[in-house]
Amino acid sequence: MKKKVKALVLTGFGLNCDHETAHAFELAGAEAQRVHINALIDGSVHLADFKIMAFGGGFSWGDDHGAGVVQAVRMKTRLGDKLLSFVEAGNLVIGICNGFQTLVNLGLLPGFDDDYRTRSVALTHNDCGNFRDQWVHLRVNTASPCVFTKGLTRMDLPVRHGEGKFYAEEAVITRLLQNQQVVMQYAQAQGQPANQRFPENPNGSLHDIAGVCDATGRIFGLMPHPEAYHHPTQHPQWTRRKDAARRRGAVFGTEEGDLGLRLFENAVRYF
Amino acid sequence: MPFRLEIALKPALTDAEGNKIRQRAKAYFGLELASVRTIQVITMDAALSADQLRIVQEDLFTNPVTQQSSFQPLAQDFDWLIWVGFRPGVRDNPGATAMEAIEDLLGRPFSPAEAVYTSRQFCIKAPGLNHADVDRIAGELLANDIIQQWRIISRQEWNATEGIGFIMPKVLLSHTPTVRTIPIHSDVALKQVSDERNLALNPNDIPTIRQYFLRPEVQAARAALGLKGPTDIELEYISQARSDHCNHNTFRGKFYYQEQPGGHVEVVDNLFKTCIEAPTLAVKARKPWVVSVLWDNAGAARFDADYYYVVTGETHNSPSNMEAYGGAITGIVGVYRDPLGTGKGAKLVMGSYGFCVGPRDYKGVLKPRLHPRRLLDGVIEGVKDGGNKSGIPTTFGQVLFDPGYMGKCLVFVTAVGIMPARIQGEPSELKKTSPGELILMCGGRVGKDGIHGVTASSESFSAHTPAGHVQIGDPYTQKKMHDFLLEARDEGLIRFVTDNGGGGLSSSVGESARFSGGCRVDLEKVPLKYEGLDQWEIWVSESQERMTVAVAPGDLERFMALSRKHAVESTVIGEYTDSGKLHIRYNGKTCAHVDMDLLESGFPQWKFTAEWRSPENRGLTEPVLAEPRNLKQLLLDILARPNICSKEWITRQYDHEVQGGSVIKPMMGVNADVPADAAVIRPVLTSETGLAFSQALLPAYSAIDAYHMTTATIDEAVRRLLAVGADLSQIGGVDNFCWPDIQFHPQKNPDGKFKAAQLVRACKALREICLAYEIPLLSGKDSMYVDGHLTGPYGETRKVSALPTMQFSVTSIVPQVEKCVSLDPKVPGDLVYVLGATRDELGASEYYEHMGYVGLHVPKVEPVRFKTLYQALQQAVEQELVASAHGVYRGGLGVHLALKVMAGELGLQVDLNRIPAEGVHRDDTLLFSESAGRFIVTIDPVHQAAFEGLFAGLPLACIGKVTDMPSLHITGRGGEVLLAVGVSELKAAWQGPFGELI
Repeated sequence: MKKKVKALVLTGFGLNCDHETAHAFELAGAEAQRVHINALIDGSVHLADFKIMAFGGGFSWGDDHGAGVVQAVRMKTRLGDKLLSFVEAGNLVIGICNGFQTLVNLGLLPGFDDDYRTRSVALTHNDCGNFRDQWVHLRVNTASPCVFTKGLTRMDLPVRHGEGKFYAEEAVITRLLQNQQVVMQYAQAQGQPANQRFPENPNGSLHDIAGVCDATGRIFGLMPHPEAYHHPTQHPQWTRRKDAARRRGAVFGTEEGDLGLRLFENAVRYF
Repeated sequence: MPFRLEIALKPALTDAEGNKIRQRAKAYFGLELASVRTIQVITMDAALSADQLRIVQEDLFTNPVTQQSSFQPLAQDFDWLIWVGFRPGVRDNPGATAMEAIEDLLGRPFSPAEAVYTSRQFCIKAPGLNHADVDRIAGELLANDIIQQWRIISRQEWNATEGIGFIMPKVLLSHTPTVRTIPIHSDVALKQVSDERNLALNPNDIPTIRQYFLRPEVQAARAALGLKGPTDIELEYISQARSDHCNHNTFRGKFYYQEQPGGHVEVVDNLFKTCIEAPTLAVKARKPWVVSVLWDNAGAARFDADYYYVVTGETHNSPSNMEAYGGAITGIVGVYRDPLGTGKGAKLVMGSYGFCVGPRDYKGVLKPRLHPRRLLDGVIEGVKDGGNKSGIPTTFGQVLFDPGYMGKCLVFVTAVGIMPARIQGEPSELKKTSPGELILMCGGRVGKDGIHGVTASSESFSAHTPAGHVQIGDPYTQKKMHDFLLEARDEGLIRFVTDNGGGGLSSSVGESARFSGGCRVDLEKVPLKYEGLDQWEIWVSESQERMTVAVAPGDLERFMALSRKHAVESTVIGEYTDSGKLHIRYNGKTCAHVDMDLLESGFPQWKFTAEWRSPENRGLTEPVLAEPRNLKQLLLDILARPNICSKEWITRQYDHEVQGGSVIKPMMGVNADVPADAAVIRPVLTSETGLAFSQALLPAYSAIDAYHMTTATIDEAVRRLLAVGADLSQIGGVDNFCWPDIQFHPQKNPDGKFKAAQLVRACKALREICLAYEIPLLSGKDSMYVDGHLTGPYGETRKVSALPTMQFSVTSIVPQVEKCVSLDPKVPGDLVYVLGATRDELGASEYYEHMGYVGLHVPKVEPVRFKTLYQALQQAVEQELVASAHGVYRGGLGVHLALKVMAGELGLQVDLNRIPAEGVHRDDTLLFSESAGRFIVTIDPVHQAAFEGLFAGLPLACIGKVTDMPSLHITGRGGEVLLAVGVSELKAAWQGPFGELI
């Protein structure tokens, strides 16, 4: 029997989506382990034993000084090279919400020219001025090298953040677009771009950017929460979908191709 | 030497916070601001080198993409600058995390003398603004003088080199901790000390306290330890434990109740025992799923074979009334410690809120400390930060506006947790302390904050209420502690755990030591935020984010290792004993030594005279009101009323999906913009079982009869659960009573006897309906004294009391989440049913309130009749015959048919003639009566026979059908079209009042 792919999900210091992120990896066929940031730092758990690393959602260090900033600094000072070796070894990294904010503050994204240390993009306060929990429609860039979104075109997921506005200098954005590093964009219900319109684009992200990857497609960060859509009853219109399925004589839950779970399945399938 | 780092967004970036302030200044005060830009200030009072400062500036506090920063003033191009910082001793969460981050980055721990403080500057461009305007923005929008200080600097006054200077709210107490002995030579002397020290001792308790300390054997035992009369720490301990907040003296009191003036006097001895404990124990005996009730921080019930859920509800009214943000965040974070301190510890899985405030647009003459609008903004934000940063979904909530809450607002916070049924083979719900086990305090440190919070909430709000009890909760510290304690629990390291809330160590250690039969505490070991606290202050401080844990000596090393891993401070502060004494020392010297059973012995029961006068006796009648002709406009206006209209802006600020178990979300429907009847979560991700949760709040009915207020509230809560598909036979309840003062006083509380009677009636109703619906009260709390004295325009104060209010929370099990039902109609052609009879029950309805009436015919609950209908509905949902279901609540059928239209964006064509009704002869009554026990259900026509078959002999009728033209179309009793209104018009009215808010 093939050995299960091991996925590490960070916990501690105010992170909070670790249980469901680990659960999503398990559903996708991985062996997931929730690991406290300090357990990585003190060496009681070895990053090198894993194939996938997930920086999950939450409020690391309360997010009082820019979301994900303190977490990034701690990881950089205490883990630094181990993190880079993990990436160089061909493994996968996903950052969700607070994790995405951490990845851009670490410089692991966008990772231009194999430089995984420089901060050149930011996730800043939502234009609407508040934290917001809502579902968004996402269009997936099928030309992106992103490992996690292979074969996907559309997805509905929830956003739950106060600092999710993707911001960078125009030249940086142009480069991201040209490199096909923009993986996901906020969209209207029928799939057209949100075009900065609120609430379809919930935070004012430039170019409706919801998620980006590095040039290899192995490091992926996104603001929406794919782990929050691992079960068919999580979609906000699931009762309508179920009702429709029953009237068609279909079994609800078997047709949900848009589950956020697909991202985790792609990651596991990569190995 | 201090260093001041200023950080701002680069000018090209939108300053969302500044924009929000600009919008609020316009909306609240009519002040036009051209722009507001914010600057964060981090003041580091630490000996850092230039290199270290540069590293801190660049790596930690400046995002190179979005921000600029400088150790010189950044502000320029403004007309007015407002600086806002904390007062000394107020919890500065960002300051604490900044310090932690700097220490971590530099690998250099801060000395006790060093610290980091955060503050903000607001640079306002508005040429026309004068100093008074700016002061208003500062004092009524940006800062609250209880916790914050501010400075206003005009462009002319600005010194571009010095900036705002260095303002450091450092707590400096040049005070040597001292234990004082209190004179008890007379009752009067002790009463005087109680008043001076704000002990809030009940005068009736004073003789008992004196008698104890005058007993020869007590004096002899004390003398051996060097103690004479009672010490301040001992009296504080007794005061905290005997406070109404901790001891529930009101509910445990003796009531002399008269049903009518001059009538028979019924003695109700102890409302808690007769109306809460007795029915709960009776139900528990019949319901094996009730696991643990009536003793712990929260009640526990069976979720499935492997897990228990725990639930409790609290209020945080007095602190929120003074500092809305701080009060609310402390409230929600505080209630989350209750499940964590239940059994051996439960993981938090959801929370909810209830806000009762004055009218948001209040323009009257009374001056509450905080305008209701500002108060609401603050409590919303407090629960947002407290819930979101705890990583706990806020899945349900209610907001209610009424002028009665101007005296004191209500902030309800409810928490649900989950724990494995067994931990290392031991039952998780059981815990005890044993002699020899160590007492540990985990989490935050102790400061002067929160002293006398408990006694303050046992009094009406007045100018003398100490402001020091306002705190700011710290969800970050608590989240770390939560994760740590659960890991320790799973390793079997926790023998006992409870939270430090009201009363601090005094309560948590005092109560946990009852199990072992005594304790010894060495107070000098308690970690402090700053030096200079008296011993009694350490003992009763309510500094937040702390738990008290009993650990066996052999487990200590492992427990402390886990604590370090999670970066949580844990300290051994003493030991449980079986000495029969609460024994406190400070540096080896005894400062308290009292018998553990002192609190159970001989304190007099509180007594209340309760005189009921029936609504008829009080002169209430039905109004003389001819039937309105324009029912369409009436419906639209009722939809736009503050207590009916959409409050989506609040819901969306709360993370209601974290933890990945969301099934029925707070907003459902095609556009996810109509509130669901209840929330459903999957707290155990590997299971398909759901936990449903809902709440109801109907204080308006108290204006007629608090008995029917109570039954209607509970009935609504029950129907909310049934509407989503929860099990009627596994409903657990949580009662939260919030009542005005009920102790009669001829001048200060002349209607106290009536208010006491309202409480007795409400409790009787609670007992009756809980027995009828078989609902055990898994938990509950009361908060009395919902009164305030507001300043009026003539230098007078006016007492404002809230309506007697009871929030009822309910939980139940959903066996299979896929069978849950939402309220939105699904398909045109489906049949629309009304279940339950509509009666002439407009008393205290939203309709009457809109017209300016109270009326008399309050909705009445007939639990036995209703229950049969509820069971039939549960079967219909179980058999998947129902396409949509929704209860009929406040506003009646008119409002709730409209909500269904808006949720489904489909039409409903219905005929009032077909509505099951009893004694109703008017269209307006059919539309707006708030009779309990009703639902609106839609079904696929293929299920008609099966569905109707379940309801044989019950009040049910098909009143119309779902149409594809999205409008509400109602035929009246005379056969004419009573109203036809499109969904966009409905939404414009219903979403209008708060639609612009985000």
